[in-house]
Amino acid sequence: MSNFRTFILTLIASFGLPWLCLIIIPAIKYQALTPVAYDKDKDGLDGYYPPAPINRQGQIIYAREGCVQCHTQMIRPPQLALDGWRKGWGQDQEARPAAPTRSNTLLDYLSEPYAFLGVQRIGPDLTNYGWRAPSRGALHLILYAPRSIHDWSTMPAFKSLYIERKAQGPVAEEALKLTGKSAPKAGYEVVPTAEAEALVDYLLSLKKDYPIPGATAAVAATPAKK
Amino acid sequence: MQTTHSSADTDLHTDNLRRAAIDKSVKGPVLFLFLNGAFWLMASTILGVLAALKLFAPSFLGDCPILQYGRLQPTHINALVYGWGIQAGLGVMLWIMARRSGQELKNGKSLLYVAGLFWNIAVTLGLLSILFGGNTSMEWLEMPKWIWPIMLVAFLCFAWPMATMFGRAFRPEGFMISTWYILGACFWFPWIFVTANVALHCLPALGALGAGINAWYVHSVILLFFTPVAIGSAYYFIPKVTGQPIASSQLAQLGFWSLASLSGWTGMQHFMGGPLPAWMPAVGALTGVLLLVPVGVVGLNHHLTTLGKHDLVATSPTLRFTFLGALFYPVSGIMLALMSAFSTGATLQFTNAWYGFQIVAVYGFFSMCVFGAIYYIVPRLTGCEWLSVRLIRNHFWFSTYGIAVVVVTSLVAGVQQGGDLNHPEMWDQDFMQLVLNTRPYIVARAIAWAMITWSNVWFLIHLILMVAGLGRRSSAPTLLHHDHEDAAHPHGAHA
Repeated sequence: MSNFRTFILTLIASFGLPWLCLIIIPAIKYQALTPVAYDKDKDGLDGYYPPAPINRQGQIIYAREGCVQCHTQMIRPPQLALDGWRKGWGQDQEARPAAPTRSNTLLDYLSEPYAFLGVQRIGPDLTNYGWRAPSRGALHLILYAPRSIHDWSTMPAFKSLYIERKAQGPVAEEALKLTGKSAPKAGYEVVPTAEAEALVDYLLSLKKDYPIPGATAAVAATPAKK
Repeated sequence: MQTTHSSADTDLHTDNLRRAAIDKSVKGPVLFLFLNGAFWLMASTILGVLAALKLFAPSFLGDCPILQYGRLQPTHINALVYGWGIQAGLGVMLWIMARRSGQELKNGKSLLYVAGLFWNIAVTLGLLSILFGGNTSMEWLEMPKWIWPIMLVAFLCFAWPMATMFGRAFRPEGFMISTWYILGACFWFPWIFVTANVALHCLPALGALGAGINAWYVHSVILLFFTPVAIGSAYYFIPKVTGQPIASSQLAQLGFWSLASLSGWTGMQHFMGGPLPAWMPAVGALTGVLLLVPVGVVGLNHHLTTLGKHDLVATSPTLRFTFLGALFYPVSGIMLALMSAFSTGATLQFTNAWYGFQIVAVYGFFSMCVFGAIYYIVPRLTGCEWLSVRLIRNHFWFSTYGIAVVVVTSLVAGVQQGGDLNHPEMWDQDFMQLVLNTRPYIVARAIAWAMITWSNVWFLIHLILMVAGLGRRSSAPTLLHHDHEDAAHPHGAHA
């Protein structure tokens, strides 16, 4: 490099190009993305894609507890990985679905400030967890005492999201139906806090495999709603 | 270096005086950064043990929310990256830049203390926030969003004097490769840091693109901060200790410019098969593999520079750490290529291999080079020599074996985990087999981090004693083999 200015300019150009192409321009273009309307004739559906936003309050809890360290939210296409064929990882809960769950698009995450695609997959993927989630009560049980479901589970028990209190009169309706080791003392009950309810709302709202407008093959393979 | 026609003795004497003046001018800030960095390194390794324990025994230490894996793991990584990595990196950069460009730190020393102090306050608050519920769950940016402006300003306070030193010493003829890398690190890090933080914290929602930018940030910080600082340090200390000039200036230039022009493109392949527009992971995968070019070129150049002086690796602590760090560079490059190429990347994606790559890049490669630099720099700043050969050896071997175990087990665990995730037989199975198969590797990781913690506790104590001025009063440097002490005096010869 013959002089200082050339050196600095080359340095700026060599990094500025990828910076512009990979970050700045896509970020500006992303701002123009809006939900796409379904075509009633072609898609057989009303409304917009993506149809329903996720529960943001619960997502904050999800981020705070670092769930992303072990749970991903991203279905990879069948040519790359098994994800789409995993039992129950899409809307279709059949043992052998007719078509694999579709991989995700940029629009699937449109309503989210930041998409928690995940760091590692130590637990199951949660992209479409809303479809396969058990009842609210059962979901609370998993969060409160994961090893009461599977003794091999390495999921942390999020006991701080729940309150153990003295049962006043009959056991509260929302109290967790705990048995065995995780059960509270006699006369006590465990009830979810507002944060636990928000987290459950969020997990139930995770449904990212809605048909893509115009992708007729995908629509044909999509079963009727539960 | 100015050469006069006076006798060689006077020449050496003036040179030594100039070096001493430069050392004195940067002494305080550099030692401040090293000492705090070593403290955070120890904290990070302890957190590494805890996080690994919590990963296979989640109810260890009770179900306290502060110590769950989801909060401990990011705290561990952030302490390693911001507490130790960038902080100690800045110390090495400042010293090498001052020495290599022959410039004293003229003024603004107190500003550097303040900046260093604020950096540490920001790291402390950021890490506590992660533990106490401020975790943003964006990788390497888990600290709450008000932290980054403090860190940015503190970093710029250090980068600015280095840039002016570089500018003053810039000569049209010839070039100094180690200061190129260090200037690059001063220049790229703020750019990357501002881009990622503004995009993720200030811009309106970026959804899945935000995740892509996050992956780009992690790769860019590794490739355009940690890598250049480590290479720059290796380019400075290998010739210094061996007494041989850098083998090839063409290879040096090629290595620098290929790293500079390729690194910014890579990162988004982390989410291959994901929601990002397909060209982004594709370009990332391409450059992730092409980055083997600078790895090979720089590796070859370092090898040729060391050639014939390998016995010094056994005796000089500086060269030994730098040599090992330089060996880890190809390892990290190959791991990046394996995780980037779609064929192997699909297996390694979302597995422990990703953790292994971060650790090999930040600890195996970068930190080992920085340890080498610290073993050289600190005696020159404090005016006393390292106390104990045993402590240095202890530090070296426990770190080496610890890191090797973390990296190898993470990579093998990644292959195992990826196989379990993608094996067709697993289509209707739960995660029991995956969890049970990964467990031994995680146990090994906990043990390895405990070994590294052991080595770093002694490193910290050794460093504290040195900074306190309690080192050996001797003109002979502490070398690792007493038998050869009179045979090889690499440090003495090159002051």
